Amino acid sequence: MRVYVFKRLVIAGVTLLGMSMLIFVLMRLAPGNITDMIFESAGYVDEADRRKLEAELGIDKPVPIQYVRWLGELLSGDLGKSYRYDLPAWEVIKPRLPVSLELAVLALGFSVLLGVPAGVISAVRRGRPLDYVLRVLSLAGLSMPSFWLGMIVILLLVRSLGMIPSMTYVSPFDNLGANLFQFLLPGLAVGYRSSALIMRITRSTMLEVLREDYIRTAWAKGQRETLVVWRHALKNASLPVVTLIGIEFAFLIGGLIVTETVFNLPGVARYLVDAIQVRDYPIVQNLVMLIAVVVVMANLTVDLLYTWLDPRIKYGKA
Amino acid sequence: MTLSRPLVLLVFLLVVAWPGAPVPAQTPAAPTPKYGGVLVTHPLSATPSLSPHEESTVATTQQASPCFNNLIYYDPAKKQESVDTIIPELAERWSWQDGHRNLVFFLRRDVKWHDGKPFTSADVKYTFDGVRGAPDAKAKLKVNPRKLWYENVDAIEAPDPYTVVFRLKKPQPSLLPMLASGYSPVYPAHVPLAEFKNKCIGTGPFKLKENKPGEYVEYVKNPDYFIKGRPYLDGIKFIVIRDRSTQIAAVQSGQLDVAGTGWNRTNAEDAKGGAPKLVVVETDSNVNDNILINFKKPPFNDRRIRQAINLALDRKAYLVGPRQGAATFGGALLPRPAGVWGLPVAEVAKLAGMGDPAKQKAEARKLLAEAGYGPSNPLKFTLSTRALPIYVDTASWMVDQLQQVGIETTLEQIETGVWHPKMTRLEYSVALNLTGIGIDDPDAQLFENYRCGSQRNFSGYCSEEIDRLMVEQSQTTDPKKRLALVNEIDRKLQADGARPILGWGKQHWVLWPHVKNWVTHENSIYNISRRQDVWLDK
Repeated sequence: MRVYVFKRLVIAGVTLLGMSMLIFVLMRLAPGNITDMIFESAGYVDEADRRKLEAELGIDKPVPIQYVRWLGELLSGDLGKSYRYDLPAWEVIKPRLPVSLELAVLALGFSVLLGVPAGVISAVRRGRPLDYVLRVLSLAGLSMPSFWLGMIVILLLVRSLGMIPSMTYVSPFDNLGANLFQFLLPGLAVGYRSSALIMRITRSTMLEVLREDYIRTAWAKGQRETLVVWRHALKNASLPVVTLIGIEFAFLIGGLIVTETVFNLPGVARYLVDAIQVRDYPIVQNLVMLIAVVVVMANLTVDLLYTWLDPRIKYGKA
Repeated sequence: MTLSRPLVLLVFLLVVAWPGAPVPAQTPAAPTPKYGGVLVTHPLSATPSLSPHEESTVATTQQASPCFNNLIYYDPAKKQESVDTIIPELAERWSWQDGHRNLVFFLRRDVKWHDGKPFTSADVKYTFDGVRGAPDAKAKLKVNPRKLWYENVDAIEAPDPYTVVFRLKKPQPSLLPMLASGYSPVYPAHVPLAEFKNKCIGTGPFKLKENKPGEYVEYVKNPDYFIKGRPYLDGIKFIVIRDRSTQIAAVQSGQLDVAGTGWNRTNAEDAKGGAPKLVVVETDSNVNDNILINFKKPPFNDRRIRQAINLALDRKAYLVGPRQGAATFGGALLPRPAGVWGLPVAEVAKLAGMGDPAKQKAEARKLLAEAGYGPSNPLKFTLSTRALPIYVDTASWMVDQLQQVGIETTLEQIETGVWHPKMTRLEYSVALNLTGIGIDDPDAQLFENYRCGSQRNFSGYCSEEIDRLMVEQSQTTDPKKRLALVNEIDRKLQADGARPILGWGKQHWVLWPHVKNWVTHENSIYNISRRQDVWLDK
């Protein structure tokens, strides 16, 4: 197992290196650079001043030199400075991380809490009215964009109750109630869509597992339904579900841009888009690398979970 | 027959005492402002910095003006800004001398910066030497969008701590309005310029409490403000909300006291529809939709092509369509009555695009035919615009209008970050643009946007005659003569199709009734954000 984990980490390192090159080059292929943006906000461009600014920021150097310099700084823990705000990049990113993390965790939590039981119930009650209702609800979840659902929720809240969650971030340590009110709704909006996917996968794999001989044997032995379904069948059906949960979580961190915008949450995703628009290279590069690390670690965690879910799976042995 | 005195007295008493007798109308007493409360609103967008001298967006003047003062400012209480509505701020009084060649300011002596240090003439010299790009300036601005405003300033002297003299190369009455602009605050000489990226040390009615870039800017009352009894508010908070529907929901729910910056009429009506107690304010603004035609790129250097494009755009349809009924028409300067320098109303009605649309479109086709374009050889080009809804809406309408005269266009949306660089480099054929003018003043508008070689002359338009007239009007101190010159320039610009103006949009604000003294100016959106007189009736 240790050898397996080590190999996966090495592969992860190579993946991240490739990602770093890709994001570095892609950002510089986009038209304009940060100096264009600075002058954009001033409403004019002075070429002489612009070249001077480029030299100050070090972006007049050849791209490979810029890349090597950035990589070196990154590996030594120096995330650089935000070109736009002239602040250390970490100082700009740090307060936004808990916002996106809380939203992603809540969204994932809702998606699992809604999707897995719904999938199980739908499989067990296959062909019955409850199955159809749950499948229609999951179809609705797949069809409705989460940002649209979020806008509808806000509209309904303001029209019916005359209130909406706070427009500025409330930390759970300052006011847990206000924080939960602020995050539950977007969490639900995003989680609902994810739960639809999870529900369908769960239902599908449960239907397969419920046909297995060992399940029939368990029924024949007179086991209780809850034990057969939730302990025997679900555990064996959970591998694809766990895979999907891992993938969803990885996408959530960087994919919440519109939800964060609609609910005015100052998270990483929304800020990443802003940073791309103003070509704030250090912020974009560091955030994308962060998301890449999350994705890689999430996938590794999922793979390791397999060994617990299915003891027949062993890594590192022929 | 004359009435006896007792009879007159009797009649008088009967009239006054009779129930239902008319009572002389009494002007209701103005409510007494209350102290306290934090006003919450949203800005147009996140501000790139808190340094107005280095930015050109109203988002900065909105969020930085509460922190600063100018030497002089436009009176918030007067709806139309003009040289007659300029009031003292850091300067107690001022005096033009030597035939408008020297402008002397006598400064207040009781002003402190927010860090407690005293304000003196050295701060004024430091600020404006930096802005005008003086060779020995201690302040070096990274970007300097309004350097042009001060190019006529030859030197700035501070003979004593409370006197400043602006020495001009030539007379320039416009210097006074420029110094009153929200873009012209005074900076402290003892604070490095770089700090204004995210902080603010000013003399203004509010002190910066917290700036979370991209999220909000929050101010608290300055207890040592030099105008006693001001501000009324305990603080102001600007929350950045990107999504328009979220802005509307936020004001309806009461989380925002005031909203509306960047809104159109429909947004304001939607907000009020969901919260009927909201008050909607609609006024003129100094922001226009204009067409950039690349003078340097054939065939647009052909006057007939430019005229045809201009004639094809029916202004009445523009008013109904993209502007939803909220716009006015004029030339290069904001039209009267909101603007001071605009062309007479009767003349505006005769500008290209204002007449009968069928006739004007027929004339457009004729001009195109003369230039060699017609149904078998249509004029084709890319119409560029900025990738923002307010631009795209109008540009889409333009595509349709041009198609009606046989011009085939493809709409290109340019990402906002590279918009000005592309325009500066003339990397376009025809573009739909929005321009907000910092002050309703000919020097600000004309030199920036129409002078040969100006960085913001995005059309590449150049006329020596216009340049000469611009300089002449800039030095003319008689207001009537100056207005005549400005109007003459405006006529020529419209005839040349220098930067055809589609119309001047209106601004909309939505506020709760408890917000008092939230004033707007009808000829600028940039010079009104000090907010020291705003109070909350709750």
